[in-house]
Amino acid sequence: MRTMSAIASDVRFQIRHGFYGVYVLVCGLYVLLLHNISPGYKEKTALLLTFSDPGAIGLILAGGIVLLEKDQGVYDSLFVTPLRLREYLIAKAVSISVISSCAAWAIQLFALGFPAMPVHFTLGVWLTSCLFTFLSIGVVTRAKSINGFIWLSQMYSLPLAVPLAGLFDIGPSALYAVFPTNGSLLLLEAAHRPIPARESLYAVAVLSAGTAAAYAWAHRSFEKRILSRVGEGAAR
Amino acid sequence: MIQVERLEYSYPGAAEKTLKGLNFAIGRGEIFGFLGPSGAGKSTMLKILIGVLKGYAGSVRVLGQELRFTGPDLYERIGVGFEFPNFYTKFTVLENLNLFRSLYSVPTEEPMRVLDRVGLKDAARLKVSQLSKGMKMRLNFCRAILHRPDVLFLDEPTSGLDPVNAKILKDLIKEMKAEGKTVLLTTHHMQAAEELCDRVAFIVDGQIKLIDSPRELKLRQGRKTVRVEYRKEGEPVVEEFPLEGIGNNKSFLQVIDRYPVETMHSQEATLEQIFLETTGRSLS
Repeated sequence: MRTMSAIASDVRFQIRHGFYGVYVLVCGLYVLLLHNISPGYKEKTALLLTFSDPGAIGLILAGGIVLLEKDQGVYDSLFVTPLRLREYLIAKAVSISVISSCAAWAIQLFALGFPAMPVHFTLGVWLTSCLFTFLSIGVVTRAKSINGFIWLSQMYSLPLAVPLAGLFDIGPSALYAVFPTNGSLLLLEAAHRPIPARESLYAVAVLSAGTAAAYAWAHRSFEKRILSRVGEGAAR
Repeated sequence: MIQVERLEYSYPGAAEKTLKGLNFAIGRGEIFGFLGPSGAGKSTMLKILIGVLKGYAGSVRVLGQELRFTGPDLYERIGVGFEFPNFYTKFTVLENLNLFRSLYSVPTEEPMRVLDRVGLKDAARLKVSQLSKGMKMRLNFCRAILHRPDVLFLDEPTSGLDPVNAKILKDLIKEMKAEGKTVLLTTHHMQAAEELCDRVAFIVDGQIKLIDSPRELKLRQGRKTVRVEYRKEGEPVVEEFPLEGIGNNKSFLQVIDRYPVETMHSQEATLEQIFLETTGRSLS
């Protein structure tokens, strides 16, 4: 019940701060771009766009939300209620995953049609979004300003972009196997071609493991750097 | 409701302890004030008492629970209002209260009812960003009491408020007491403490220097005299008379009988003076 309330509040927060409006605009631009790209490059471009935007949107959105919440000082009120930190983090991941999935589906449907494996595709977007959301929360607890956050988030997320090199056949594919985002790319590819069950299992496992690790890191970082400072009143 | 024994706390990496062996107990239906200058350890103690800081030494029990072992369920029974009233600024007053209300599993107040109690009913549909500081402070109080807590912790509850808003909040705190709630407030506003608190504790450099009721302190440490200002042949005169046997004091009776009295006050000490004498420090 508390988690549902927190999710509803997060969605409202994102709408009120205009995140949805901006995102509809960005998705519209992506669809236009994909319509005007030659068919030979369309699938790869769509995969890259879906990974880097709807998938990784959590990286920017979650950080932005936490920065706004810190600025408004709401943690002084929020964390003197029975709300658990895990519920707060899950609400962030779910609310951002919802917008990610909607955007990914909109881009896919308008630019390329119905995905070959819709469940795989949705799971890929969902888990990738959660991974980047948790990563972003872990990062933003270390940032003191928007600029600091942007800089740190790029540093921390850079290793997760390594498997993108595999899309361009750079290096042996086994090299990327340990990266959770390798699982993201495999699942997102399922929008364009069916992938075997073994690959699907590997993709879900590696991506879930990465997401769980990011969650644990975000939880620890938030507890240490934000919760212990409740009562110090960020907003004045 | 609150028992603290041998409480000590050091921030990680700090050379000196912030709290140095505090002992006190607060009963049901009591308003207890912690007075001290900035940096005395009031905020640290408050953060321990509301379960934010766990790594303390000694024992801190609130509602019978040792706080180092409690989780967020504690907040079902305690209410906390910090000095800075922070909310989701793009949500309305009502949306904020409904959100916070939805996080409790215990029965909660109707938001419009509590808003009405603090004179904010008409502001229910306003965004928080449109509220004045006084309105936000009252809203902060509403949030803190939404779930009808048994113990209420308030940090500088009247800070930055004009006299009208301060009175509204003070009346509400007294209402909480009348309902049997325990209220602990930290402040450096002597007047608010004097007016509200059943007992006060002076805290300086992480130590409690004195605990007693404001009335007892003022009587014990004041001069037992009456100071009279009157006019004698057009000139202002000030005289003090001992309180003991004042009804039979001929000089005093003569003054009030013969001359126009302008002011007349007993000379109990103020909390500010007592604080200064006890701690050697000023509150501001």
